[in-house]
Amino acid sequence: MGSFFNTYGFLLTSMVLAASLALSLYLPLMAGQLSLASPGFYALGGYIAAVLSTRYPAAGNTLFPLWRLLAEMLLAGLASGVLAVLVGVPALRLRGIYLALATIAFVEILRVLSLNLAITGGAVGIFGIPQPFSTQIGYLWIAGPLLLLSMLFTYRLERIRVGRAFVALREDELAADSMGISPTCYKVLAFTLGAVLAGVVGAISAHFLNTWNARQGTFDASISYLAFVLIGGSRTFVGPVVGGLVLTALPELLRALTGVSGLPPWLGQFLRDGRLIIYGALIAIGAVFFPQGLITPDLLSRWRKLQP
Amino acid sequence: MRTFVARTVPLFLLLSLLASCGAPTAATPTTAPAAPTNAAAPSPAAPEPTTATNASGAAPATGDPIPIGIAVAQTSNVALFGQEQVAGAQVAEAYFNQNGGVNGRPIKVVLQDTGGDEAGTINAFNALINNDKVVAIVGPTLSQQAFAADPIADKAGVPIIGPSNTAKGIPEIGDYIARISAPVTAVAPNAVKAALEINPNIKKVMVLFAQNDAFSKSETVVFQHTVTDTFKLDLIGVQTFQTTDTDFTTQATNVLNAAPDLVIISGLAADSGNLVKQLRDLGYTGLIVGGNGLNTPNLFPVCKAQCDGIIVAQAYSYQADTPINQDFRAAFKAKQNKEPGQFSAQAFTAVQVLVEALTALDKTKKLADMDLAALRTALNKQILSGTYITPLGNISFTPPGDINQQQFYVARVKMSADGSSGAFEFIK
Repeated sequence: MGSFFNTYGFLLTSMVLAASLALSLYLPLMAGQLSLASPGFYALGGYIAAVLSTRYPAAGNTLFPLWRLLAEMLLAGLASGVLAVLVGVPALRLRGIYLALATIAFVEILRVLSLNLAITGGAVGIFGIPQPFSTQIGYLWIAGPLLLLSMLFTYRLERIRVGRAFVALREDELAADSMGISPTCYKVLAFTLGAVLAGVVGAISAHFLNTWNARQGTFDASISYLAFVLIGGSRTFVGPVVGGLVLTALPELLRALTGVSGLPPWLGQFLRDGRLIIYGALIAIGAVFFPQGLITPDLLSRWRKLQP
Repeated sequence: MRTFVARTVPLFLLLSLLASCGAPTAATPTTAPAAPTNAAAPSPAAPEPTTATNASGAAPATGDPIPIGIAVAQTSNVALFGQEQVAGAQVAEAYFNQNGGVNGRPIKVVLQDTGGDEAGTINAFNALINNDKVVAIVGPTLSQQAFAADPIADKAGVPIIGPSNTAKGIPEIGDYIARISAPVTAVAPNAVKAALEINPNIKKVMVLFAQNDAFSKSETVVFQHTVTDTFKLDLIGVQTFQTTDTDFTTQATNVLNAAPDLVIISGLAADSGNLVKQLRDLGYTGLIVGGNGLNTPNLFPVCKAQCDGIIVAQAYSYQADTPINQDFRAAFKAKQNKEPGQFSAQAFTAVQVLVEALTALDKTKKLADMDLAALRTALNKQILSGTYITPLGNISFTPPGDINQQQFYVARVKMSADGSSGAFEFIK
């Protein structure tokens, strides 16, 4: 078991972090806003943690104090929230594909900024970020509760007034507006909630990856997070979480399969070299068989009925 | 529920079809090692009696192979470099096993793909360290990946040899981190010097670099420093581009307007190739110096005939007249049907350093008697204390783990008239 956690501690934590990021994309989507800005806030949160922890290193050669990590997460969340409100108010006047484009532009602006600023270390980025845990699996103590809390939060959100307003906006903005739901207010709220979560995850990831640079949270990342949500299912919060967990684990599962003893060499070779091909094919097959995503509200309610 | 089942069953049927392909053979007992390595390497269990010339006269290695991890980018846009490294490492595996391995025991190169990102590199390192139980790792390809994954290997006490990490601060990550790739500060100035020897009248210099690439960013600083401080030339402008760019009209126009005598480019193969092509298309005729990213034959298909004349400083020359390099060059040519480049030579050298360090260690204490952790620690000490005669020349390590390399080279690209083939011609 110990060796399992040594090998897959990093993967387990990345899965949990990916699930949290998928949730951060799901939150604006709850209000019908296709925003790809999450990676931008993720990058921002990471830079905040990276700069703070490397500029003011902890005294002595000990582990980075946990309270400082929590403080960085809080600060990253706050900064992302403020920026989200500033960006969100004008950007959310756009709808559908135009909003998606604007958020892609936002991510790109942040990336170019981080390449040019001195404090972010340009393309080399920031390295030697201190570690609050002695093992990679240790991060699960932070990432796990964060995911559970965000899931609980989203679960409740789907069932209270604000969440209902989000869903009303998603289903029909005009109708919702005519019923007295302020579209701007709720859209910005949904956008900001997602941004805060992404910023907090970024702060953890910077420590977790040891290094932070402008290659984190780019447009490519937006697309993979979107895939988490779409494959997992975009109508209930369980979908993005499952999507994030499964899609992050899949390439590594395929890697592990190549090590299974007794495989004929050609199959091992194919599994290793073609693992990304298989990954892509599985996503395509998943999209064909489950157009609504793996987890749909329909499915969840059926499962609930099966319980005695 | 029925529709869910109806959808899930075919999916799992498909999956089980995939999985069942392996089942019949799983039952048959095999003596071969569990983890599959590259198919081209001689099977350690039954070494074929080959007729290949055996340089040292030693018998081919037999017995339980020693696993050496290779974690480089076999996929993503970094794979242009990673694949050359894989080729170099595989040639090294075959060559050293042919020549007696580690005192008669063969080595086994275990490949794990890092992809182009940081998380993939950490996953590959973890797999090599914990699952494949390698004694040491050669990798990763990029310095940024090294900053992410090397601390993990250092903590686990696994020696790392960086085959192509040239950024500042890599060997300083930890005691177990070393590299056999010379830092840019040592290599880059040689190319500018060579350009000045070709055209002593160079006055005005223009520098271009890929802003989003860590290596190019640090390399351009060295180039600019060389131009203004070392050779007292006139740096008339600095232009930036992105490694993902394909259209360089703006940069090329700016260069032509400034009319420099020399253009220095730091970028990766695909983008720099396009940049050179568009510069030449628009009519630039002066000299071009390229950074390490242009130091690969993968550049040739991009700019074809217009690649001709690019000057690149090299940490390796396939023309180096040493026995080990002649052997490497011949083995590489036999397998890949082309001359080896710097990235392949560096990967070969990294494996060679490990083999020689293991051999030296085995002479003092049998490797089989040591447990893995002790072996890794002892191996790390041995790596840093040894000197090695390699295709890169005679090398050794500084106490933090940086390479001491004696000789550098400068090459000029020579393309055939139709641009279909080309080579690096060494000018010094």
